[in-house]
Amino acid sequence: MAKSAINNELPVSRGNARPNYEIRPPSIFGFNLLANLSKLLQYKDLIWTLSLHRIKVRYKQSVLGILWAFLQPISMMLVFTFIFSLIARMPSEGIPYAIFAFTALLPWNYFSTSVANATSSLVKDAQFVTKVYFPREILPITYIVAALFDFAVASILLAGLLIYYKIALTVNVLYVAPILLVLTCFALAISLIFSATQVRFRDIGMAVPLLLQLWLFATPVIYPLSAVPARWRSFYVLNPMVGIIESFRDVVLKGEPPNMRYLMFSAVVSVILLFVSYLYFKRVEATMADFV
Amino acid sequence: MIDLKFDTVSKRYRIFKESETEGKRNALGRLSRRLRGNWSDFWALRDVSFEVSRGEALGLIGQNGAGKSTILKLLYNITTPTKGRIRVNGRLAALIEVASGFHPDLTGRENVYLNGSLLGMKRSEIRSKLDSIVDFAGVSAFIDTAVKRYSSGMYLRLGFSIAAHLDPDILLLDEVLAVGDAEFQSRCLERINQLRRAGTTIVFVSHNLGAIENLCDRVFLLRHGEIYRSGAPRYVISEYEHMLTSMPAATAKGLIDVHDAPASEIVSVIFYNSEGRRTTMFATGDAARVEVELMVHEPVEDALVEVYFYSIFGNIHSHFSTEIDGPTLDLQKGRCIIEFDCPQLPFEVAAFNIESSIKLRGSSFNEHVDYKRTGSINITRGKPVHGAFHTPHTWTVRSVAPPDSDHSTPAVVRNVD
Repeated sequence: MAKSAINNELPVSRGNARPNYEIRPPSIFGFNLLANLSKLLQYKDLIWTLSLHRIKVRYKQSVLGILWAFLQPISMMLVFTFIFSLIARMPSEGIPYAIFAFTALLPWNYFSTSVANATSSLVKDAQFVTKVYFPREILPITYIVAALFDFAVASILLAGLLIYYKIALTVNVLYVAPILLVLTCFALAISLIFSATQVRFRDIGMAVPLLLQLWLFATPVIYPLSAVPARWRSFYVLNPMVGIIESFRDVVLKGEPPNMRYLMFSAVVSVILLFVSYLYFKRVEATMADFV
Repeated sequence: MIDLKFDTVSKRYRIFKESETEGKRNALGRLSRRLRGNWSDFWALRDVSFEVSRGEALGLIGQNGAGKSTILKLLYNITTPTKGRIRVNGRLAALIEVASGFHPDLTGRENVYLNGSLLGMKRSEIRSKLDSIVDFAGVSAFIDTAVKRYSSGMYLRLGFSIAAHLDPDILLLDEVLAVGDAEFQSRCLERINQLRRAGTTIVFVSHNLGAIENLCDRVFLLRHGEIYRSGAPRYVISEYEHMLTSMPAATAKGLIDVHDAPASEIVSVIFYNSEGRRTTMFATGDAARVEVELMVHEPVEDALVEVYFYSIFGNIHSHFSTEIDGPTLDLQKGRCIIEFDCPQLPFEVAAFNIESSIKLRGSSFNEHVDYKRTGSINITRGKPVHGAFHTPHTWTVRSVAPPDSDHSTPAVVRNVD
């Protein structure tokens, strides 16, 4: 079989467009956002293939397969419901606690899964980083896409819970789209910073699980924002996740428009942070292969 | 038309010294080392400038650490220069380590998509080339099997086949001929030549000097991060051979226990071809005469002399010792030459590092009077090798005529060697 292939002349075909570019020593002043984004866009097929690969590999050779995407938020919901509703009597603004917690866990899990996986992405795929060129931000991005897939699967479960608890959606549910966009920007910004830093300092990998746990308690996931004492609230809302999670629950469960002040604050912080983190990531990327 | 241009490019690697108590990735440790200035700088390239024209094939040779792979890494944008500028004009692809982007749990088909897109192919491009990739690799029957079930040969062939389907304007090749069997290597060369005929600009790094000579228009000999010699392949390769044989041979310290002042020293190990010309290039099946020159400071009784052929990855390929089939050596003070004759070198196409040792009979494997890396040789295509090595052989047919015929004498129909 292999023998016959020797005489198999492969066609040589190539496009006419020859890219022409210059490689220079890294410099923050040479950062060109548009050039980087257009390069990233050229690699959209890689983002897609690698994201699919993340999802496939995760569920391959496991008996329950895709069911794990349901099981994780369900089990967290059950644990939190048991502890905070039956034992600790957490307030939930008149909403059944199970769906109250689950609705917030959905975007929270999306965020924490993204950050946890993306942080180690560059180190885990070191063999790609040292052998092949492609925009390195693709590695953290694909983990975020995979986490978004889990989010979509778990959303089906949320729909089931909404029907079970007879909670009607209003037109305000359309706010979910911009809220998710803000959340994705924020998750991406944090992922870029952590993953780039992890290349040099493995401490980040150790600190992230702990940090995410503390962050969960500093965000209105298992309790409502209204339970935070008023005098601390102006400080508390500096956490961009507050506006995101609270808005998500408002538009889905209460059918109300989100608190625009909080959401806008989260959006502005996310966009600025995303820009800064991209700048930082690209600077680290230049010599990443020397350290990873 | 210039496709590649290096303008006074330098690349520095900063090596932080590690102490026992501080972890390498420990932030505080790093910070303190940084403040104390506890590092050393290694310049992998120093002010290197050159241009490569469209359709030209440039070869890079030199010893490990000379800067060959750094040039490729900079071109491929895996890392960036510390100083200088690099201009690239064209779509660039690298055939560096085939199959490095494979995931064992995914099927052959899924891996083709994954690896192909890592190398910069579009999904539509991969889809249209999938059949051709699979055919070329000869793994059609197993395309929906997880690649962890593949043999290493299938793995390599599929990896190469994907890379071979890239159609870049500029192709970077790093030691592609160092893996796989002879057949696989000849297919690599076939494809490379084909791309070359189609006008692809090529930068080729290899220890295989024969392949460099066959493929390249121009060769650079790198040394300590600088272009030491450049020009026609024949000239630069002979300069390199000269450099290797005339250089004070490096001893493999740390691995082997060598005395500070050996009682006898290996001066050189020099290869001669059948015409008696000194060379490091042989074809499979060529005769070789090897002269091991010794300088004996103190008389050594019952000594053994050994010649090792190592692959460039450090695997031992062959080991010849006077202990097994040589004369008894009682070395007297002064110069001494020991000759080793091999009527047919059996090796497949590859580069070999030659190491040599003097030892005492009965000493353990790492106790040497002297041990040296004494250069390298290159084996090019000669006698056919299908498998690991060539061996002299003949074919004979014993009965050609029907059994009832009168002519029952055996007839030799084909005779190899």
